[in-house]
Amino acid sequence: MEFGRVWTAANWERLLVGDLFNHGVIGGLLMTLLLGIAAIVLSTLLGGIVGVLRDSPRRTLRAASAIYVQAFRNVPLLILVFWAYFFPAVFGLQLSKFTSVLIALTLFTAAYIAEIVRGGIRSVEPGHVEAARALGLSPFEARLYVVLPQAFFNMLPALAGRYVVAIKNTSLAFLIGLADLTEIGKQIGARLMTAPVEVYLTLLLVYFLVNRGLSLLLRALEDRRRFNRVFLRI
Amino acid sequence: MHLDWTILWGNPGLLILQGLLVTLQLSGLTLLLAFLIGFPVGVLRWLSFRTLEPLCWLYVELARNTPPVVQILFWYFSASYILPAPLFLGLREVGYEFGAAVVALAIYHGAFIVEVVRAGLNSVSTGQLDAARALGLGFTRALAFIIAPQAGRIALPPLVNEAASIVKNTSLAMAIGVAELTYQYRHIDAFLFRGVEALAAVTLIYAVVCLSIAGFGHLLSARLSRHVARREAPLSLTSE
Repeated sequence: MEFGRVWTAANWERLLVGDLFNHGVIGGLLMTLLLGIAAIVLSTLLGGIVGVLRDSPRRTLRAASAIYVQAFRNVPLLILVFWAYFFPAVFGLQLSKFTSVLIALTLFTAAYIAEIVRGGIRSVEPGHVEAARALGLSPFEARLYVVLPQAFFNMLPALAGRYVVAIKNTSLAFLIGLADLTEIGKQIGARLMTAPVEVYLTLLLVYFLVNRGLSLLLRALEDRRRFNRVFLRI
Repeated sequence: MHLDWTILWGNPGLLILQGLLVTLQLSGLTLLLAFLIGFPVGVLRWLSFRTLEPLCWLYVELARNTPPVVQILFWYFSASYILPAPLFLGLREVGYEFGAAVVALAIYHGAFIVEVVRAGLNSVSTGQLDAARALGLGFTRALAFIIAPQAGRIALPPLVNEAASIVKNTSLAMAIGVAELTYQYRHIDAFLFRGVEALAAVTLIYAVVCLSIAGFGHLLSARLSRHVARREAPLSLTSE
């Protein structure tokens, strides 16, 4: 093993930020993090909406959200990436690689998050809503102030797991040639030709550290008192 | 856009069927190997041997926190450096890409099965094992006849999920050139310019296979828990 020969300063720079400093082109770990964070934020919003609609009083909304969840959970993400990248091109609309992967990853992850959100909302005792209504809160207020905060903390462990999966799934971007962490690592490996063990072990280690870091960060949020102290200043 | 669905009855359809066959073989072998890894390690973690526990922990955390496609690339490109030469040459004879994909995916999914098995076993109260032992059952018998049936009910739905997840993740094997479904779609797109039709067909096949596995899981868990009192379904918010 010759990690020193493989990981020169130039190769580290390429792996972490791509050609950012030379040509202003983002790549590598930075690209993976941008893609992952954007997908996490968007899919949480979309998944939250779909998850609430799963228990909507309107039957059409319930059915539509159920179909969405089943359709996107039962197809490989890679297939969705290909749909997003190649299908719009048929109509002359070529999305960028980043946008294509972001759309596919968001739609895919949102389907899972919708189920987590539904489970989280159902985990709140119905008595709490009744009590809130009896105390004069509107149905919307009861949801916002009583159900949501409790559901949020019940959902956190499952959400954290899903976010780690989303970061892992950004690695599919290299299959359509986006210069993410995997693609840059693969390029470095291809140029050196004789050191795949060192290159891919390092790639695995970088993903591992990012995902463990994210898990630990989200686990810190699970402590409700600490969360309140930091974010709500209570 | 001009779509011609009849092409699916010709050569492209045949390629897709070949791809489906490879996907199913890949999934089946991966599932088998993942269970062979996941079950023993899951039981080991449940027993929490002091010496083996750190190793099991390391395996699960490393495998779960890294992308499966990078694991596939690692095993594919590194095998000739890691494996002894005769073994590698032998593997190359039987199609090395396929083997690398099976091993990588089995290691990845095995880690999830470890956690499912452990959670299932943990859900059975320890008194059950003590009682079984007190009644004279040996450890393996107590595990097989008392603990396993109860743990199985808990572990079954996530295990079935895992099987569907394996089918979906076999699509990553195209990264190293295994000619499974997704690979065949790329092939048809690149050489026959019938990408949309092929992609639609492949999408439908994946959906049918995954939904069938999910349906099978529902039937199985309904059957396994038929003697158990059903828990009241949680009231939905809209019932107020």
